[in-house]
This record gives sequence, structure tokens and C-alpha cells, in this order.
Amino acid sequence: MADISTQLLQALSQELSRIPADPADLTVAASQIGAQQDGLARLDDLDLLAVEPATVLLPPAEANRGAR
Amino acid sequence: MAPDELTRLGIAEAGEQIRRRALSPVELTRAHLDRIQREDSALRAYITVFSAPALAAARTAEEEIARGGYRGPLHGIPIALKDLVMTRGIPTTCGSRILKEWVPDADAAVTARLHAAGAILLGKLNMHEFAYGPTGVNPHYGTPKNPWDRARMPGGSSSGSGVAVAAGLCAGALGTDTGGSVRIPASLCGIVGLKPTYGRVSRAGVIPLAWSLDHVGPMTRTVADAALLLQILAGRDPADPSTADVPVPDYRRALEGGVRGLRLGLPKNLFFERLDPEVRAAVLGAARLLEGLGASVEEVPLPRIPHAGPASFAIIASEATAYHEPYLKTRAALYGADVRARLTAGQFVLATQYLKAQRARQVIRAEVDAVLGRVHALLLPTTPIPAPRLEAREATVDGLTEDVRWWLIRCTRPINVTGHPALSVPCGFTAGGLPIGLQVVGRHFDEAMLLRIGHAFEAVSPARGRRPPLEA
Repeated sequence: MADISTQLLQALSQELSRIPADPADLTVAASQIGAQQDGLARLDDLDLLAVEPATVLLPPAEANRGAR
Repeated sequence: MAPDELTRLGIAEAGEQIRRRALSPVELTRAHLDRIQREDSALRAYITVFSAPALAAARTAEEEIARGGYRGPLHGIPIALKDLVMTRGIPTTCGSRILKEWVPDADAAVTARLHAAGAILLGKLNMHEFAYGPTGVNPHYGTPKNPWDRARMPGGSSSGSGVAVAAGLCAGALGTDTGGSVRIPASLCGIVGLKPTYGRVSRAGVIPLAWSLDHVGPMTRTVADAALLLQILAGRDPADPSTADVPVPDYRRALEGGVRGLRLGLPKNLFFERLDPEVRAAVLGAARLLEGLGASVEEVPLPRIPHAGPASFAIIASEATAYHEPYLKTRAALYGADVRARLTAGQFVLATQYLKAQRARQVIRAEVDAVLGRVHALLLPTTPIPAPRLEAREATVDGLTEDVRWWLIRCTRPINVTGHPALSVPCGFTAGGLPIGLQVVGRHFDEAMLLRIGHAFEAVSPARGRRPPLEA
């Protein structure tokens, strides 16, 4: 689990997002964000360069493929 | 039939009696309203109840049917909606104080479809605030109580929908599912929940949590009832560009196919890696029962599926915070603490992480598609644990202690990431009497196959015929 500082999050919240944040919420947010960093980094294990850079999952074009 | 017995009828059964004019929609609606009045102060399933409008609509339905204007199996059936589905002229709170006074001036597409089918809308159902949580705990409207054990979580976010259906406070309900919010309460409350394929049911007029993962789906007491509701809900809607123009089959007819000759896959990695022993026994028992009905069951590999969890987190956190940012800037104090903290976290997900997560979905979806090219459906647990106690913050399984929320979404959120349809159907009970759900995952737009498997399983399920205790 990554150790994310609440001071860093406070600065980002104030200067970039401009969302006023409660210190208690930032403590929880630091824990939640920190817990996800390793898993998010592992997305690099997938061969994403071979993927169309779609940003939104569109409905599949075909149904009923495969064994029947 | 005694009024309380009417509230145990399924949609199919009540609908058939209404069609034959053996049952009055007014009588059926009144039985449900009486039961809500008697039970819901303790159960907390509803946020708003439409007593007078529901009775008026039931009288109209009765008159129409008497004149020969029967519209179909939903005509005169009392249905309730999760309170993020817009209802014209009626508050839609999203389980939040922020929208407490908001009255939409239009119906959601699914609301309009239910009206057109002649369904009677009983009210709006409690939920995890803004659908952002799998426990169903709600600090503003009271947490709905699991009817099987009122000291336990109902599951969320469609908590009121799960409780109302299980406790006979409506004949069926709609929920929404972004990481499991239809299937989790269905599993914990011992009912059927169907997350259709992404693009099968319109979300127009449904307040989003994360628009690229959100689905609307039916929650019912039987698989046949889910089929009847899906028949009304499914189809292309120009107001929701994510819906697909794929033909909608006759789901009721699909129920009767049986499972003989079907190939079913058990993806052992992730889904079966850490399970409560009673859940494992019930789900593997369900697989054996399906084999007994003539299906073949085989293990299938899904090595990339563990990436779905982080991808789901990045997408939900980013999209939810983007939607809520105006409220966070102006009315943050009105959120419950858990949801506000989660929305606060969403601003710290990098744009590159969000985009990688969206691209990862294509890879994970292709892997599941490839497996579903070899088998007709996958069998998984819906939740790795049965309903936790209301005050529980963590649960330990196989020596691993994690947040209860992490456990509850572990087996459901990958299927939102891939967009495949998934059905949760009761498959057993713990020794302590808590329901366990079997999750059946199928090919895109092949909800008919899930309903067919679920219906066949229901007939032999160890959970068949069991109902929660009616009174506290």
C-alpha cells in the first residue's frame, strides 16, 4: 500500500481541484488512494498499446457469439 | 386469499390472476400498502410511498382490464423504484439530503416504460447515498434492515429494493448496478437480481454514479419475474446513446429451455480464491445440481480478471467525483461521511490512470468474451461472504482481513467492467439462516441464457420455497 501524505492531497485539493476538503476526509482518501496504487500500476502488465484508445465502453457490436 | 398472502405472490402469478380477473389490482395494491404501513417503520425500505396515487392507478388499471384493455403481465402489478430513478412530480432523493427537496419534471425512460405497461408504482426505495456504497447503510433515511436478520446489512446500493422485494413490500423493484448494486442486495436478501448487458436498458433519467459502468436492472423473487420486468425495460432508447439496437427476444419463452447440453465455466482464480466456507459449499453445490440437470461444468482460466478491481476503482472514483464536484464545492456538509470521503478521494485519481483503466476494460472484456465463446455461461459466487452485521467494518476470510465493502464488491465489480450480463439467484443458506447467491454471467445481450439457467436452477435450489420471517 502506497503511503500518501494528507498534506499533498490538501495542496492538490486546494490548488488543482479547488474542492474544499475536510482533513478527516483527506485521511480516508489517502488510505483509499494508497490502497489502489499497486493495482493501478499493474495495469501496465496488460498490453494496452494494442488497445484502441477508447475512453468509454460502448455496447458490444455483436451478440450471441460462440458456442450455442 | 388473505392480504399478506397476496404480498407473497410473484409478478407472474399475480399477473396471471389479474389477466383472468381472479385478482383485483386494487386489492393487490392495498395489500402491499397495508404491509408497508405495518412493517416499513422497522424495515426502512421506502423513502417515499405513493399511497393515494397507487390506489388511484390500481383503480384505473382495474377499469381498463374490465373493459378488455389488458396491457400485459405488468398491468396492475405493484412495483417500486430505487430513489435515483426519476419520477415526474415526485421527489427523487438519491438517498441524500442534497436532493431531498428535488422534484423532477420528467420520468426516467424506465419509469415511462413501467407506466406504459400498466404497472402500479408504489413508491421510491431507500439506497446507499447516491448509490456509492455496497453496504446499504444510509445515515439520512435510516438503514434498511435485512429481513432474514435485522441486525445484518441488506447490501447495497439498492438496499431498499432488496429489502422490499424480500419482505413482500412490493412485487418487484428496480435497482441500479455500478459495481454490484443490484446483485449484492439480491444475494444478501435472498432474492433474484439481474444486471443486464451494458447497453440493454436505458439509463436516461437515472442519476448516475459512474456513467460508463452504470446499469439498471430488475430485482424480484423469482427468475420468471425478472424475465417479465426485463421484457418491459429492454431495448434501444435514443435518449441514452449507450443503448444498443439489438433485438429483444421473448424472455418468458427462453425460460423453458433447461440446461441439458449446456457448458458452464467455473473461473477459479479471483472468484473462488477467498470465500467464506459456507458460500463456497453452496456455490459448488449449485454447480453440481446444474450438472445433475444435464449441464457440463468445467474450470476456465481468466488470468486478467484481477485487473478489473483497480480499473473499476479508477473509473468509479473519477466519474462519480466529476459528477458530484458542484455539490462538493457548495454543499459538501450535507453528504454522509462515508460518501463524502469517497468523493474526496476521486479527485486524486490521475487522468492517465482513468484512461488506462478504460483501455484495460477492452482487454479484460476480450478475455471473458473468449471464454464465453467456449462455454455458455460462467458460475461464480455473488458475494464471498453472507450479510455482515450492521456495525461490521471488516471481515476476515481465509486469514485475510479487509474492509467489508471490499469483500462485498469483489465478485461483482469485474462484471461491470466487462459489461456482460449477470444474474444473482439464491442458492442456499448458511447454518445461521443467511441467504447465499449464485452469480451466472453470460454473453453480451444473452440475458435469455441467464434466465434459462437461473429458472432451471431455481426448481432444484436448496433455497427454493424459503421466505424471511414476516414479522419482527
